[in-house]
Amino acid sequence: MRTDVLHAVRLARLDLTLVARNTTVMFNVLLLPLLMAWMFTQTQTGADIAGVSGELFVLTGVPGLMLGFAVFINLVNSFTARREELVLKRLRGGQPSGPAVLGGAALGALALFLGQVVLLAIWMHRTDGVMPANVPLLLVVAVLGVALFGLLAAAFSGITPNAELAQITVLPVIMVMMIGAPVAYPADVLPGPLGVVSNLLPVTPVVEIMRTAFLGADHVSGSGAALGMAGQWVAALPSLGILLAWVAVAALLARWLFRWEPRHG
Amino acid sequence: MRTPQLADATGTGTAGLGNVIEVGGLRQKYGDFEAVRGISFTVPRGELFALLGTNGAGKTTTMEVLEGFAPATDGTVRVLGLDPVRQHRELRPRVGIMLQEGGFLGDLTVAETVDLWRGLSEDAGRPVTLSGGTELPGSLTLFGRVRGVGRATMGALELVGLESKARTKVRQLSGGQKRRLDLALAVLSRPEVLFLDEPTTGMDPEARRTTWQVIEDLRAGGTTVLLTTHYLEEAERLASRLAIMHEGLIHTYGTVEEVVAGSGDTIAFRLPGTTWSFGDLPAPDGVTPTLTYADGGTEVVYAIAGGQPETRAHAALRPLLAWADEHGEVLERLAVRRGTLEDAFMRVVGERR
Ligand SMILES: Nc1ncnc2c1ncn2[C@@H]1O[C@H](COP(=O)(O)OP(=O)(O)OP(=O)(O)O)[C@@H](O)[C@H]1O
Ligand SMILES: [Mg+2]
Repeated sequence: MRTDVLHAVRLARLDLTLVARNTTVMFNVLLLPLLMAWMFTQTQTGADIAGVSGELFVLTGVPGLMLGFAVFINLVNSFTARREELVLKRLRGGQPSGPAVLGGAALGALALFLGQVVLLAIWMHRTDGVMPANVPLLLVVAVLGVALFGLLAAAFSGITPNAELAQITVLPVIMVMMIGAPVAYPADVLPGPLGVVSNLLPVTPVVEIMRTAFLGADHVSGSGAALGMAGQWVAALPSLGILLAWVAVAALLARWLFRWEPRHG
Repeated sequence: MRTPQLADATGTGTAGLGNVIEVGGLRQKYGDFEAVRGISFTVPRGELFALLGTNGAGKTTTMEVLEGFAPATDGTVRVLGLDPVRQHRELRPRVGIMLQEGGFLGDLTVAETVDLWRGLSEDAGRPVTLSGGTELPGSLTLFGRVRGVGRATMGALELVGLESKARTKVRQLSGGQKRRLDLALAVLSRPEVLFLDEPTTGMDPEARRTTWQVIEDLRAGGTTVLLTTHYLEEAERLASRLAIMHEGLIHTYGTVEEVVAGSGDTIAFRLPGTTWSFGDLPAPDGVTPTLTYADGGTEVVYAIAGGQPETRAHAALRPLLAWADEHGEVLERLAVRRGTLEDAFMRVVGERR
């Protein structure tokens, strides 16, 4: 166990080093989501949503999109490429165990994701003078979100034949997230079935809890009523439950689809 | 020596030390295709066992089952008395693996790759020390100094002659250089068991010699080695025992001596004139020669496989010389050649094709 943790930390550091060396990944993982965050805010200037300014509403929802980029796309790419280049096989045949290899990848992605959340927090503080209201809740939801999308990435890499095709296999997930996630508007304002779908998406509870934790107000039910620390946890509880259920589903999918070695013949 | 599939019926003198690798009735399937069809062998502690065989014989498949990449379809497999899949965790730190190909992170430099592997070994409680244990060839006092590269890493690179490439990206290494790096990684943590899948393929002759030295030194230090190779001289030089595989089965098994003995001796000479036929020549132990007519002479070749490997050539020669004396002939260009590993290999392949 201790060995697994040490291995995971070492592999996570390795991943961060390699991300820093690769400009394409740097752009896709770090810059693109921030660019999109800015674009999304431009669609909502002026309007107030659920009791906060449109810009703030969007910025607190953007971490949901970042899970799609910094975690999901990033990991589908890296799992697929490393599988095809036999890196995964070699790692697992060496000292680290399978869980340590996957854990390391998730840990690296978590670091990237948290880095981006910090950037967003600074951005919010600069423009709206807002400080995150509930950091522990933020961390919990970040960990769960990364676990969820890390496992989904593991599963999707299994159905991705090679690194070039990763761009295509991630597309449906990213599209659904961009349209369905309650980033620029609450899930409940979406018309009929779309609203239902949005509420079922794994990214929706992440966004709603993130927003609640950032703003200290109830954005899970969408009322926007101010809440105390305890109230925030209570409000987030159902969404945390949904998130956990999704993590379990994603874990099963990953178990079923993830592959350590390329397919032959 | 040709034996049935239960190869280790010999009961070697080292049995008391315990077998580090045990394979019994191993079968391995990929879907419907059976790549390994029931093989058995054992490797005692401190021995080097070589798996030879044709392309696709199932050597890599066998190795990978032993390395714990996949559970055996059927049969038993033990490494250091442990199940390679279910007890992978205990086994991992004690085993070194050199895969047949690939698996490097191209964006890392050679030194960074070694550092990563060292770190992973250390995390697993197997620190990489250059002193103690096996003496390493490549004198430790010769450490070059490269900025930002630690002593231990430099030592590992010197072992395989890659010290000048420490800061090169792995992506830019040549095929043989990648092989050397692979070797450095496999032996880094002084494993008790070493799996080497075609370790010297693609290496130049000098690198091959260095590699042999590294392997021999580790083995002398008590490491048990399972190696596959297509180079027969490599097997002959390194192996305590070997097996020749073809289409999922072991066809020949034994010490190099035994396997070579099984391939028989040849006696060849030339007789003047082209009028000789089988009936004119003696048949020692019932062996008849093959005759080839060329340049006004007759090439005669006896292949002697039966009898005592030590004495059969001598025994066969006696009636031949007596015959020559009797008929007033001279056996021109008389040559006695012991069988080679290559003969044994070709026989396995020839028989089955
Ligand atoms: N993952 C796989 N899926 C399906 N078939 C495979 C797989 N790996 C190997 N095979 C098949 O199993 C057989 C044995 O392959 P293996 O790699 O063990 O041979 P080998 O003895 O190592 O050959 P070589 O000397 O060429 O390395 C081959 O016919 C190969 O095509
Ligand atoms: Mg092979």
